[in-house]
Amino acid sequence: MTTRPVLLELRGLGKSFGALAAVDRIDLAIAEGEFFTIVGPSGSGKTTLLRMLAGMEQPTAGDIVLRGLRINDVPANRRPTCMVFQSLALFPHRTVGENIEFALKIKGVAPATRKIRALELMRLLRLPEDYYPKSVTKCSGGERQRVALARALAYDPEILFFDEPLSAIDYKLRKTLEKELKDIHRETGKTFVYITHSLEEAMVMSDRIGVMRAGVMVQVGTPNEIYTAPRDRFVSEFIGDVNIMPVRRVEGGRLRSDAFATDFTAPRMPEGFAAGHLVVRPESLRFVTRDGEAENVLAGRLYNEYALGSRIQYQVRVGAPEGAHVFIVEKLRQQAYAGALDDEVRIGWDGRDSILVGD
Amino acid sequence: MARANWRGGLIWGWTLAVVTFMYLPALCLFLASLTSSRYFIFPITKWGLAWWDKTFASLEIHALFRTSILTAAVVTAIAVVIAFFGALAFARYDWRGRSIYQKIVLLPIFFPQSVLGLALLLWFNALGLQLSWQTAAFAHLVWIIPVVTLVISIQVYSFDPALEEAAFDLGASRFQVFREVTLPVLLPGVFSGALFAFLLSWGNFPLSLFTTGADTTIPEYLYAKMVAGYTPGVPVLGTVSTAGAAILLLGGYALIVLWRRRRET
Repeated sequence: MTTRPVLLELRGLGKSFGALAAVDRIDLAIAEGEFFTIVGPSGSGKTTLLRMLAGMEQPTAGDIVLRGLRINDVPANRRPTCMVFQSLALFPHRTVGENIEFALKIKGVAPATRKIRALELMRLLRLPEDYYPKSVTKCSGGERQRVALARALAYDPEILFFDEPLSAIDYKLRKTLEKELKDIHRETGKTFVYITHSLEEAMVMSDRIGVMRAGVMVQVGTPNEIYTAPRDRFVSEFIGDVNIMPVRRVEGGRLRSDAFATDFTAPRMPEGFAAGHLVVRPESLRFVTRDGEAENVLAGRLYNEYALGSRIQYQVRVGAPEGAHVFIVEKLRQQAYAGALDDEVRIGWDGRDSILVGD
Repeated sequence: MARANWRGGLIWGWTLAVVTFMYLPALCLFLASLTSSRYFIFPITKWGLAWWDKTFASLEIHALFRTSILTAAVVTAIAVVIAFFGALAFARYDWRGRSIYQKIVLLPIFFPQSVLGLALLLWFNALGLQLSWQTAAFAHLVWIIPVVTLVISIQVYSFDPALEEAAFDLGASRFQVFREVTLPVLLPGVFSGALFAFLLSWGNFPLSLFTTGADTTIPEYLYAKMVAGYTPGVPVLGTVSTAGAAILLLGGYALIVLWRRRRET
């Protein structure tokens, strides 16, 4: 948590549809100027949560508190918040300029003043000024994203909500816009609350991340905390490719893996840990030539390799061909494995590079 | 090559057949109006515009136009408003009973119009209402509102509800959302619905026959004159009525196209 003052607080916030709890009593504090991202798979309740924060859904439990004031009953059009929708929801009958100026028109701002502000925002969002009279239906995907963001900024909200606005655009443009969004967050100093199902997207942009599953906020932390210290198996797997081995605690503070009939050195053991999963990130695994070169070593066969641009992923199968345990090893291209497919290989890691999680 | 020629010939033949069977009768009607004779004789021996002059000079015809235009205009105004909100109700919002409501609203489209006309006549008599163009307008509405609802609902189904949410989220009141977003976005559908309403009322015969009483609309007059008292004024009036409808339809279509182009530039 940063030292900035809390702007938005969720106190036991919940939303049920009949017996189904879409959002289950969430407690959370978001600081002023923070870029907070909520991630989770489809159906985890993140959109419902965001819609409650924006005033489009009424909570069935708990409170939403903005600057110390309960705003549960304040309708969306009276809240100092604004949403960038997944579909962007640009008004198709209006030009780029008219879309951006919409909130100002509603507020009764004079046309000349509206235009000045719209052009300012277009410059901030890197939209050419001659787009002002252009129909939004003629804009490209990236331009439409910028118009939607400019329109929301024109409202001058205290908090900007983003409902997966980058989910429907191609990879390259998404990567560009992720960085631009982070730049705009920095330039405007606004509080951004962003939802996505892509943890990669969240990692790039966020100050903090909240991971949701089945309506529950299972972990909140900085991108680094989420990556290096996932609270449970779900979070560790959600973050990306991981190698997971079921383990149990044995005498001497070691971890026993029944699947590989061997003991592993343990990372920092959680209080009262008896059994769970040992997580090793692909980049923490390395090819070794002999036992002792790493604290934990397993022998297997190099089954395949996948080029990922600057990195290469290797699939190593450990154990009998049928029912083999698959490990993912990731290396930078310049540290690529020199051998060939089907080589007998050894992979290893040190205890401090692994993470111990519960179910 | 031979197969392509055969396919091309088939398309041309088909098009010619459609034009012949659908538009040739209208052309015959126009030709029949160009005779100077008292009776319709084909081929036409004496060509002239005498019956056009007589028709347009007739006060009775002027009254017919007034009645038909007034009826169609009133039907259009009322049908569009009711149909617009009716279409929103089942195509935009999800509520209990929506499916049944949709079926009930659209069912009158499939009623035989003559039966509907008779039923309404009996109903007006039971209520003690004197038959006039107003009762005819009501009768038209019973059949036209469902049609217009269907036309507008096609546009409503493609409407993104997030547009309204976005406008509301940007500070607009419910009324401002409707005025600034919902109505303008759905306007092409509303316009198409209005065209449908006007043209269906303008050309309606079965419902008018039972419900206009002493007032007469153009289709009723044409029918009456065909049964007894035919003059070439009948095809003149028929041509004007058909051409008016066609011009309105094409003009309306051109307006929609222009509006869309303007929006997209």
